[in-house]
Amino acid sequence: MSYLNVPRLTFSGDFISDVSTVNNDPQHYNNSSFEPSFQQFGKGSQNGWWNPEGGATFGFQNCFVKRITGEDGTSTSDPLLDGIIGQVVCGAEGRNSGKMVDLDPQQQMVSQLWGVTFRILTAKNELLLEGKIEPTGFRDLQMRQQSGGRVNGQPLGGSWTSVLEDVVWGDLAVNSPFLLALKNKTQGNKLSINLNGFGYYYSHAEDGRFSLGRVLGSLGPWFFNEPQLFAPTRRLYGILSNGGSIFFGTSNFLFDKNNARLSIDMGSSFPVSNSIGNVSLTTNLYLAVSKKAINAPSSPNSVIVASTDIVLIGKIEYQNGTDWLNKTSAILDFNNLTAEAVAALENNQLLLLGGSSQANQYVVIAREAINGLVVRADNFVQRLDTNQTNEVRFYAYQFGKPLQNASLDITLEPATPVSPKNENTPPICDIPGNNYPAAGLSFDANISTDENGLAILKLTGNRIDSPRDYMDGQIYTLDYQLSGVTPDPASGSMMPDAFIAIHLRDYFEIPEKPVWSDIKDIMVQFAHLYPIMSKFFIDFSDPNAMIAKKEILTFAFDRDIKDPIYMPVTRDLSENKRLTILKWLENPIIDEQVAVTKQKTIAKVNVVEEIALTETITLTNNQERLKNAVRAKNGSNFSSPEITNLFEF
Amino acid sequence: MLKISPKFVNSIINAESLEELFPLLQNAIELEHATIPPYLTALFSFKPNTEAEIRKVIHSIVIEEMLHMTIAANILNALGGKPDISNPNFVPNYPTHLPMGIGEGLIVGIEKYSPELVKNVFMEIEEPENPIVYEKTAKKSALPTFRTIGEFYMALQKKIDELAPEKLPGDPARQVTSSFFDSNLLYPILTKHDAMSAINIIVEQGEGTTTSPIDEEGELAHYYRFQELYVGKELVKNPTAPNGYSFSGPVIPFHPNNVQPIFPNTKANMLPEGSEERRQVDIFNNSYSDLLNGLHRTFNGEPEYLNNTIGVMFDLRLTSQKLAEMPFPGKKGYTIGPSYEFTKTLSEHEILS
Repeated sequence: MSYLNVPRLTFSGDFISDVSTVNNDPQHYNNSSFEPSFQQFGKGSQNGWWNPEGGATFGFQNCFVKRITGEDGTSTSDPLLDGIIGQVVCGAEGRNSGKMVDLDPQQQMVSQLWGVTFRILTAKNELLLEGKIEPTGFRDLQMRQQSGGRVNGQPLGGSWTSVLEDVVWGDLAVNSPFLLALKNKTQGNKLSINLNGFGYYYSHAEDGRFSLGRVLGSLGPWFFNEPQLFAPTRRLYGILSNGGSIFFGTSNFLFDKNNARLSIDMGSSFPVSNSIGNVSLTTNLYLAVSKKAINAPSSPNSVIVASTDIVLIGKIEYQNGTDWLNKTSAILDFNNLTAEAVAALENNQLLLLGGSSQANQYVVIAREAINGLVVRADNFVQRLDTNQTNEVRFYAYQFGKPLQNASLDITLEPATPVSPKNENTPPICDIPGNNYPAAGLSFDANISTDENGLAILKLTGNRIDSPRDYMDGQIYTLDYQLSGVTPDPASGSMMPDAFIAIHLRDYFEIPEKPVWSDIKDIMVQFAHLYPIMSKFFIDFSDPNAMIAKKEILTFAFDRDIKDPIYMPVTRDLSENKRLTILKWLENPIIDEQVAVTKQKTIAKVNVVEEIALTETITLTNNQERLKNAVRAKNGSNFSSPEITNLFEF
Repeated sequence: MLKISPKFVNSIINAESLEELFPLLQNAIELEHATIPPYLTALFSFKPNTEAEIRKVIHSIVIEEMLHMTIAANILNALGGKPDISNPNFVPNYPTHLPMGIGEGLIVGIEKYSPELVKNVFMEIEEPENPIVYEKTAKKSALPTFRTIGEFYMALQKKIDELAPEKLPGDPARQVTSSFFDSNLLYPILTKHDAMSAINIIVEQGEGTTTSPIDEEGELAHYYRFQELYVGKELVKNPTAPNGYSFSGPVIPFHPNNVQPIFPNTKANMLPEGSEERRQVDIFNNSYSDLLNGLHRTFNGEPEYLNNTIGVMFDLRLTSQKLAEMPFPGKKGYTIGPSYEFTKTLSEHEILS
């Protein structure tokens, strides 16, 4: 089951994400070329970018329960029918609300939520429901704002799907029939949660919404044997591009055959014309099932279907203005599907159609994945230390049903080349490449799914010795696909969809008696990258300042990784480095003052055959798309569409 | 010497059961808390990385006020009461009188650091019953007819001795301790003796003893530490001085330019609704209220929750410092102060109605 299943609750409001941006530029990790100006505000990729003093805070603000959908698939927003409507959705009590951090400056496309607590309260501060969001990175980055993106500075949106763990039902939950039904249905003391974010502000705009975004959330039951960090749904991919942008890029939907119901989440994809969620689209939109396979990739050229080619499910009853999206989270339930539609949906692709001026013809805006195939890695963001083995879970589905005994191929992407200083913007120093040495990772190149569609990949980190020189460890990207099946070209409208992002940390041994020079480079880098700390709290590059605050530092460096105040906030230190810092704090020895870290150059690649590779290779298509998506996402290369006639056919 | 409304001391003296002491201990918690926002505001009004020595002094005092608040809550719990931390009435509406009518005319506000603030407010708050005079700048002791904070605590101590059983009735599992405080200073209050010793800590750290500015841990009492800041020199042992100490130690430098011009007693509603500045103040107040909610849990049966609140204290500090750098819209030359207002969760119906 998933957040799309019933009983389901939707909420909306703002989220705050006070991310720090000095660490957006990999070059800023190089202590020897760091300049104080990199801690200052700067436009695009100048200086410390758009929020150098960010503290990585993530939290819910002004969020309220908007609607509930019952077992029969009908929805209500009437608080008289269930008192949970209108109640407050917020973060933790008496502790930090949570953090949002990148995996690495060279992998900024899986920004993760850590230590986020989710609560629903009454206005009297009485608990109805509480749970901890299992850390996960965003996915399904897509274009959301057809216009108005210049005001907030970020027209893209993304989704976090996860589970609430350690769910606590408040004493008053018994007064809500909805909560009782949800509690009865869900399993394993978990709930499925999805957060669709959009309208995020990089800009210090006049409306005061800097560092805020809108969130359309939903909560539903979770079941055993299903993924935790994505919903086991079918997927609809946008194929019609407009001015280079694809709208309705990815939408999840669920087909419930027994109840003849289709539920679709367009909260991840519905185009909006401002940062608050104003809908100004005027096209008539329909859902239909295609009688024949449509495998077209995305293109500016319309794919047309005739009414005889489809089984119509219904019209999408959206409304103009800001209310519709924020009240419904753009989740639509089509109940009482016809027998014909039910039969067709079992093995055929769903289509999102735009009404055309030609009678009995429709334009295909989005189509379901080819052959209804969905393969996704569950825990797709991995932090690995030397000799550590993690299990990555994959699930495969076809038309919503587990795909059994399916073979999956796992491949390491080719090494990317060093980006020389003079090719960087701004030019500060060389930027290392990624995915080398290949021997850093051990894994099976082929795995198979079980009866639940689950396949497990054992991923082991091997010893690597500073392949990136001034950045710890290495970033690896693993691609996956069903054996012999080319990934759907329409999947991932902004960036590749089927990958695992891995940060393998450098080999490091804990010194018996750590001295300052053992941790100095780490702490100096930390002081550079997080001016909010070095300016307002402690200069980490000064061992005496650290000693003066050793109790609180020991406290912070000794938290559980899921504690919001775990240090370092980016969670990018290997265990051994973290333990070395703790050991030093316990017995802080300041050895001879070491001269300023000497200028280092990037070792090209330390494995002979890989040197050849990295110097000649051009980026793969996936890597090129990812690179462009990074620039669009992190604010270094701003562009935002202004489309007034979207999908007017 | 700070005057306290005699009715509070009289209530203690007339108490016939431990229950009657509960509201007075709640008052003590509120009093200890009430000094924290003013001290923190002064502490975080300095420009980053300046005036380390002054900050060190204020920091050391404010940490002890947090300790005193915790001790008062522990005593209340030990006697069988329940501290009430998370409600709007717990928070003073600065500028205001301190709880229990303390200080009569003394108005305590939330302001940037200045030697005058130290002298006129902070030293007044911390003034001992009979301050030892080391300099002409110190006030002469006032008439001893008023009740003082010290007397309040001493009366409390005496009454606990009189009424309480040797083993105190409260649930030991509600006692709060922390690795951030020496276990000689913050320990579980389980016996009458524990409670009485703990009260001594509060009084001595705040006021010193009647004969020495030094408390039992060998530290200068708050009053004298503040006096050092006002005088601008450290109070050091001096055998030739009349009371054995004089302000003849190293200079404590102060540069007024290192203080951010925060607007005194900033309130959220002084800032335009919907502005980035207002949002930052709201964030501050939400964190502050949330901290009180977390402390309420801490002092009501979940002592280990204290660790969770540390991060919120940290956020408060950072937001306070960020605010101090933000120009105050419409108030030329000023930046924004932290407003320490309790905010309440509102449901959507309440917001709309």
